Amino acid sequence: MDDLFAVPRGWLESFGEIVKFCARILGDIASLRVFKYFGEVLRQAGILIVSSTLVIWGLVFIIGLQCGIEGAYFDRSVGVPAYAGVFAAWCDLRELVPLCFGYMMAAKVGTGIVAEIGSMRISDEIDALEVMGISGVTFLCATRLLGSMLVLPFVYLCSIGAGFFASYLAVVQQIGDVSSGGYFLIFWQFQNPPDVLYSLIKAMAMAIVIVLVGCYYGYTATGGPVGVGTATAKSMVFNIVSVHVIGMLGTQLFWGANPRAPIGG
Amino acid sequence: MSFEDSEGTPIAGDLADGSPAAAAGPELTTRPAPPPGASEEEYANHSYKVYPSGRRNVVEFDNTYKSFGRNQILRGLTMGIPEGMVSMILGPSGTGKSVCIKHMVGLLYPDSGDVRVQGESVPDMPDEQLFEMRKKFGLLFQDGALFSSMNLYDNVAFPLRQHTEKSEQEIEEIVMRRLTEVGLGYSRDKLPNELSGGMRKRAGFARALVLEPDILLFDEPDSGLDPVRTALLGELILEIHREMMEDAKAQKKPYLPTFAVVTHDIMSARRVADYINVLWRGRIVEAGPAQDMLNSDNPFIRQFLAGESQGPLTMD
Repeated sequence: MDDLFAVPRGWLESFGEIVKFCARILGDIASLRVFKYFGEVLRQAGILIVSSTLVIWGLVFIIGLQCGIEGAYFDRSVGVPAYAGVFAAWCDLRELVPLCFGYMMAAKVGTGIVAEIGSMRISDEIDALEVMGISGVTFLCATRLLGSMLVLPFVYLCSIGAGFFASYLAVVQQIGDVSSGGYFLIFWQFQNPPDVLYSLIKAMAMAIVIVLVGCYYGYTATGGPVGVGTATAKSMVFNIVSVHVIGMLGTQLFWGANPRAPIGG
Repeated sequence: MSFEDSEGTPIAGDLADGSPAAAAGPELTTRPAPPPGASEEEYANHSYKVYPSGRRNVVEFDNTYKSFGRNQILRGLTMGIPEGMVSMILGPSGTGKSVCIKHMVGLLYPDSGDVRVQGESVPDMPDEQLFEMRKKFGLLFQDGALFSSMNLYDNVAFPLRQHTEKSEQEIEEIVMRRLTEVGLGYSRDKLPNELSGGMRKRAGFARALVLEPDILLFDEPDSGLDPVRTALLGELILEIHREMMEDAKAQKKPYLPTFAVVTHDIMSARRVADYINVLWRGRIVEAGPAQDMLNSDNPFIRQFLAGESQGPLTMD
């Protein structure tokens, strides 16, 4: 029986460790300790803008095109081509933009954090920091999280713009079953301003989890370069699952009781 | 005692506070029992003798135990690092020397027992106090542990920028002085991956020095270096220690600069050490001023310091 529960017990233990570690990082931000290293926060924010923004927008743009094209052809097939804007208003904003943002965050930012911090761990750089009287968790992890929190809301709002723009291009300019005015009439009818906020909350929850998980796996990496590789892979698995779980829970929470489409039943 | 420290001044009678009581080292009067699970035979060569250093200890291990899984590393270690000396922690590979260093700076905590730095217990310190205490230390890691994203100059300037309010001009002055001392003044803009192993060690040394710590620890500074470079690094360690001793005395600092070098290179120990702790099977075999240790009649110490294959230390 012990063997039977060994694996789930191991998962629970790891999960508990991750939660404890994340609480430390969040504590560093809440207690404002991280502001001792505000220069590093700005540096991390800058790195995020320069190295990850375009690739996130690029992926969201492509998914916006896909959503627009498929929506337009589906609506044409059921005889309501003018309603193609529904797909952009719902599918883009509520599901696909947050998911694609989460995928790219996990693939580009999350793995990058694991690899960087993990390499620092195995080459004693984190120990060197600690010996200099600088907390590795605060300097390496809390600064990255705060940097992300400062930058990512704007990156995400622009991502929504990129997704919407791509869907508009596909539906109105490429397929052309509906006029620009007709498209926007339906597009705006099927969304409310709070939807953008909900979508933003979903994406930020994903981003925070991804950065925290990346920091955890990097900070606790052991076993040389192979260990860093394993930690990177593990973080990717954890993050992709988390992105979907957050996506599902967010949809249930924010739109589950929507009378126009009661997803929650 | 006729032995002299790295400054060339006699150790006995050169106490930091001038009090004979401060000269007392961790002298053991009764022979400790072997650690749990070990036989008396395994520890037959441990005489636990501690020759007096004439100085107070700035770092003390008190019956410290540490295991990693089933691997018992420190098994009741009682050891002192005397103030103002270049101490060596010598011992066969895998005997817990680097683990000792990590305990001193609170990167590892003992399973039981205590580690004290300047009289304060490291395991009992809250985080804030621990980070403050660590500022008293400089640590040279085996491979230098330079930050790979920064060039040499920024690496050495990093502790100053984080912990002091000095202007960039003052920082540059200090950094360039330290880099020049270790012979790397011309490489300030190079990244760590553009440097050789020896250069990385010297750069790590410069970084460890910039905050003028009370205690400087060296984790196998000779690993991966050729014999000539090892000798040169040893000389550099002695020279810097001498310089720091003069400064500390001139400034009347409360603690004289203490260097502790972890190594298994006997030649370095002979050249550099004022004081030697010999560690085996997680405990000190014998400890004392270098001259006493080199004249020791303990068979393990004799074999180890002579680097001979015949003796109590085997491949097992």
